[in-house]
Amino acid sequence: MIVVKDLKKDYAEGDTVTSALRGISFSIDKGDFVSIIGPSGSGKSTLLHILSFLDRPTGGLYAFYGKSIDDMTDAELAHVRNKDMGFVFQAFNLLSRLTVFENVEIPLLYSDVPPADRRKLVEDAVQSVGLPEKINTETGKLSGGQKQRVAIARALVNNPSIIFADEPTGNLDSQSGAQVMGILDDLNQRGHTIVLVTHETYTAEFADRIIRLKDGGIESDAPVGKPRRSKDQFFK
Amino acid sequence: MRIRDSLRSAVKSLGHGKTRSILTMLGIVIGIASVIILMSIGQSAQDLILQQVQGLGSDLIIVIPGGSTNSRLSSPAQSQGIVVASLKQADVDALSREPSIAGVAAEVRGQASAIYQDNDMTVTYDGVTANFFAMRNFGIQQGYAFTQSDIDSFNHVAVIGSSLATTLFGNLNPIGKLMRLGTQSFRVVGVLEKKGTGAFGIDQDNMVVLPITVAQKQMLGIDYLNDFIIQANGAYNIDFVKGRVQTILEQNHGITDPNKDDFTIETQQDILSLLGNITSILTLFLTAIASISLIVGGIGIMNIMLVSVIERTREIGLRKAVGASDKDILQQFLIESVLITLVGGAIGVTLGAVFVVAIYFILSTFFAIGWVFAFPLSAVFISLAVAAGTGIIFGIYPARQAARKSPIEALRYE
Repeated sequence: MIVVKDLKKDYAEGDTVTSALRGISFSIDKGDFVSIIGPSGSGKSTLLHILSFLDRPTGGLYAFYGKSIDDMTDAELAHVRNKDMGFVFQAFNLLSRLTVFENVEIPLLYSDVPPADRRKLVEDAVQSVGLPEKINTETGKLSGGQKQRVAIARALVNNPSIIFADEPTGNLDSQSGAQVMGILDDLNQRGHTIVLVTHETYTAEFADRIIRLKDGGIESDAPVGKPRRSKDQFFK
Repeated sequence: MRIRDSLRSAVKSLGHGKTRSILTMLGIVIGIASVIILMSIGQSAQDLILQQVQGLGSDLIIVIPGGSTNSRLSSPAQSQGIVVASLKQADVDALSREPSIAGVAAEVRGQASAIYQDNDMTVTYDGVTANFFAMRNFGIQQGYAFTQSDIDSFNHVAVIGSSLATTLFGNLNPIGKLMRLGTQSFRVVGVLEKKGTGAFGIDQDNMVVLPITVAQKQMLGIDYLNDFIIQANGAYNIDFVKGRVQTILEQNHGITDPNKDDFTIETQQDILSLLGNITSILTLFLTAIASISLIVGGIGIMNIMLVSVIERTREIGLRKAVGASDKDILQQFLIESVLITLVGGAIGVTLGAVFVVAIYFILSTFFAIGWVFAFPLSAVFISLAVAAGTGIIFGIYPARQAARKSPIEALRYE
């Protein structure tokens, strides 16, 4: 599904060039649950942005379903983000003046889903994160945990094959964090590929596999000893 | 993204910042309202002026002294205050013999103080031939119009305008009263029907009409005439008659080169098209001035939209992350600015219409001016089109700024 070879990302600022990624290679198969972990500055966010088509690499190869990012226009990237990818951010990125329904509906506005089918898709997504009673509440009035569940609903409303989660529990208390990780776990059980970026080892251990980054390179890439951590074992 | 979804989203986001949206709209509201008001007033003024000219009658031809050097917009010598003494009684006699002409009325004009007891007023007096009243549709409200025999015998009789009658005589019956005009006495024999300001800017309700002989010889002491009004014979085409008038006057005046004519002939149609041109230019000019406020309003919208784009940077990032293309973002912000200007435009049109009705009401109720109510529908369509255009022109820059944002930088924006 995802193949990365010698991937590089340099940031040029004036005369100085900073390398965020110094040529990394790995692949992710459909249905995998992969954690990318590393200290801040290790390049994990940069990697996630490239994997999720929000940014382009400056070198190397990144192919998504066999198609290289270099061969795709910005509009095509936007289309793939909409159809095949879901996003969960640390800061939720909900539009607080809109209701839960309207927030979850946003990806559908940019898809080819007919307006008549949207309501059911949104309701199903909100149901699957356990917030059906909040569907008409403005998201500004929800707790942090609820917000992140809305964000997950938004991420899966288009039924994407892969969900990228960037520190999804970073702003949450233990209980909410456990809930969110539980939902991601469920989604993975139902066949969604999950790529999770975190700096917390115990969160990373929900995955089947952990890619550990350091200074823009891969320090280790190893499976998590089975059985993987479940949501009951989530703690901070 | 579907237009309907963009529209819904725009309504939501404008509704969210109501005060700001209303303040932003204000520039457009004022701009559009002034355009509407000025276009409507221009139209009314034009209708009013044209209506008065039409009051002359379509078969009338007016001859005034002095050439017009063939230019439509240069005014004849007389209206520039130069006395041209080229029109004479002999011309009237010659024209009267022409079969295509049904009648010729001659006029002389002067100003003097009209006095009765303690009341006085400076008025324009018109010395006219007996056929004048019929040809100019001057009805007599009270008394009678003087006759040919009054003219022939130099009788000091006068027909006066209705407002003047009230000014001089108050509640008294003016008929039979002796008034003074300048140094001479006149017996009032008739009062004109109310008519309003005429085509030549003379207030017909305050004028005094005298026998032409008395006015010309005794009041003014001149041997020329100020103008002729010629009524065409209905059996002839008006332009043909106009040509005949020109030929006869040229013969009488010994002129061979038409460019050197010492008179100007105007038909009602000539005057209508000239005045129509002038009032149209005036309306256009006023509208152009009003449009400046639209530009200012547009800049206000651009300003607010730019602020809005910056404020909503993260929203733009999020929307792009979940699949919005540059085009989707551009469309969303453009629809917002067009929506502001269109709503502002609609409010402006309504406000303008209220003002126009109020102006009509005030003028016709308190000033007794025969103001014509005109609310050109074209103004509404033009205004709304201009409003939408303003939204697009001034919204495109902020919308492009929004669309160009890189999703990742937008998401990181604090």
